[in-house]
Amino acid sequence: MTVEQDCVALDQFPVGMRVLAVDDDQTCLRILESLLHRCQYHVTTTNQAQKALELLRENKNKFDLVISDVDMPDMDGFKLLELVGLEMDLPVIMLSAHSDPKYVMKGVTHGACDYLLKPVRIEELKNIWQHVVRSRFDKNRGSNNGDKKDGSGNEGVANSDQNNGRANRKRKDQYNEDEDEERDDNDDPSSQKKPRVVWTVELHKKFVAAVNQLGFEKAMPKKILDLMNVEKLTRENVASHLQKFRLYLKRISGNQQAIMANSDLHFLQMSNGLDGFHHRPIPAGSGQFHGGAAAAAGMRPFPPNGILGRLNTPSGIGGVRSLSSSPSSGMFLQNPTDLGKFHHVSSLPLNHIDGGNILQGLPMPLEFDQLQTNNNKSIIPGNSMAAFPSFPSTQQSSLPNNNSHLVLQGHPQASPSAFPGHQINKRLEHWSNAVSSSSSTLPPPPAQNSNSIMSHQFDDGSSSYSIPFCDSTIPLAPAMDTNPRAFYRTTDLDSNANVQPGGVYYDSLQMRQSGNYGPTTDALLSSNAKEGFIVGQQKLQSGFMGAEAGSLDDIVNSTMKQEQSQGDLSEGDLGYGGFSSLRTCL
Amino acid sequence: MQRQVALIKQSLFDQGYLDEQFMELEELQDDANPNFVEEVATLYFKDSARLINNIEQALERGSFDFNRLDNYMHQFKGSSTSIGASKVKTECTMFREYCRAGNAEGCLRTFKQLKKEHATLRKKLEQYFQLARQAGPKEIARRPK
Repeated sequence: MTVEQDCVALDQFPVGMRVLAVDDDQTCLRILESLLHRCQYHVTTTNQAQKALELLRENKNKFDLVISDVDMPDMDGFKLLELVGLEMDLPVIMLSAHSDPKYVMKGVTHGACDYLLKPVRIEELKNIWQHVVRSRFDKNRGSNNGDKKDGSGNEGVANSDQNNGRANRKRKDQYNEDEDEERDDNDDPSSQKKPRVVWTVELHKKFVAAVNQLGFEKAMPKKILDLMNVEKLTRENVASHLQKFRLYLKRISGNQQAIMANSDLHFLQMSNGLDGFHHRPIPAGSGQFHGGAAAAAGMRPFPPNGILGRLNTPSGIGGVRSLSSSPSSGMFLQNPTDLGKFHHVSSLPLNHIDGGNILQGLPMPLEFDQLQTNNNKSIIPGNSMAAFPSFPSTQQSSLPNNNSHLVLQGHPQASPSAFPGHQINKRLEHWSNAVSSSSSTLPPPPAQNSNSIMSHQFDDGSSSYSIPFCDSTIPLAPAMDTNPRAFYRTTDLDSNANVQPGGVYYDSLQMRQSGNYGPTTDALLSSNAKEGFIVGQQKLQSGFMGAEAGSLDDIVNSTMKQEQSQGDLSEGDLGYGGFSSLRTCL
Repeated sequence: MQRQVALIKQSLFDQGYLDEQFMELEELQDDANPNFVEEVATLYFKDSARLINNIEQALERGSFDFNRLDNYMHQFKGSSTSIGASKVKTECTMFREYCRAGNAEGCLRTFKQLKKEHATLRKKLEQYFQLARQAGPKEIARRPK
């Protein structure tokens, strides 16, 4: 760094760039600090990741860049990386003595903008400022069309930074407004700084709705923002959320963006629950995801069947209704055998199910995994909401139901009103599985069946994520009353999940959800999300029904056929046309 | 005196106790940081002593949790690399290989060796720093690039 620059005020980026260095090894930290000083950066060090997070959260604009070691005792470096990326959106550089490409890859997938090997050399550190500029540049470019970018070049760095800074100033939410801050006082940007946006279920739903409306491919932050029409939300918030959302989707399904809706819940949960560091409550249901902070893993259930996503859509809801009406739904429930598998399954009081409309309010699909696997099952929306016991993941296999009527309803276990926000997908799958397996046996007493089938429960959130619905024994009766509609939360996640959101149910569910869960409830989210997911539900319904109807065949078939017509269920998992019948059941 | 210091340092390099990284550290030493290298070395020895202790205890327990040992050693290697403690680093690498192979006997042997190297290096560096201090900062500044 040139000496002359030294004399210049902090304006001379990269001189004075504020770096936060995190490494549990004191020796390395000291050396790093010294190296960074040599590069004329402004350095803050800490040997604890937690402390680093605190520092960052305390004032997002305090730092330009974070350098973090990978192996740290109190928190995994990658986790820190993710958190910082999500919460603060700062560029993070990973540092490690591991040169294994696996680690490097991990760094990349977790969002690191660079990966350095120890021992770090000063030459490498001399260039790290480029990451800061680049990220600002990209942000600017995103929001404005590059009017700021004029100098983006390196030597123009100082200039561009300044320009960017100015441009940034225009944008309220600029994080990394260092330049501004440097130029102005620090208070200025800080005061303008918006509090971190919490992506609640509601908000996320809006987001998803907007995205769906625009078309996933074409969704642009600005437009989404406009559609969402939420004050105090900035384009940047939306942009970063969209980015995460896309990543999330990719992770869970590769290309099925359709699942979006489904994924919402998961996504939210995931992102919320990413590491527990998030303040966002992790919905209980998200437990499944959650685990997925490893999202990829967790998310599995979301098959891109976006269909499910749109629970909200009235059509879906209406559709659901129809499903519920069919008494034959009882058939679907049957999986009694399967249900048995789920543990609680039997507990589901299907009371409501007269015809075995199982799905009414059936607990939402079992855990994701299960749902996933069982894609084929059609989720039969149980009108009577049989509280489906949440199928433990184990169930899945058990349910090879031919009927596959999925009774999906995610009836919230325990709380009749609230659906445990379990991952709908899971449930669905399970459900499907269960259903399918049980298909052979016609649903045992309707009341029972319905319950058992879908006990996917939506976790209310917090509690048990994957809790098998069974527990909740969702009193069908109450549930039924309340949710006549099969709650099909069929978490669209699993494409199979024919979860048909009982339109009606859905509403109630939602309502309930909101009531129950409260803000934190991610679970709520889940339920809501489910609704959102159910977008395709209707489609699913059609899909499901057809396919699954095993024993239930006649009834189901008839219903399903109806569905089929609607059927878009092509999703594949469910593919049932039967779903339509579900609707009727509802 | 200064020549002595230089000689000692040179011998450390020649014998492979230290490598280029150490030189980098010295580069970082300047007026603002007059005793940087010594500070870092002190930190290193403090840290590594602790690590050695941990490893020792783990080994004594006889349970041979290779994963854990590997982790310790990874840390150890990291800091040794940062300071340029070349021989120590080599021993670390060997130890880790034994860990991966699940070779308890090899681990023990290597660990002994590692401790020896570590102790030797410590002694030599202490000697070096002492002399360097006596010789005055000039010595460092004069170090030929």
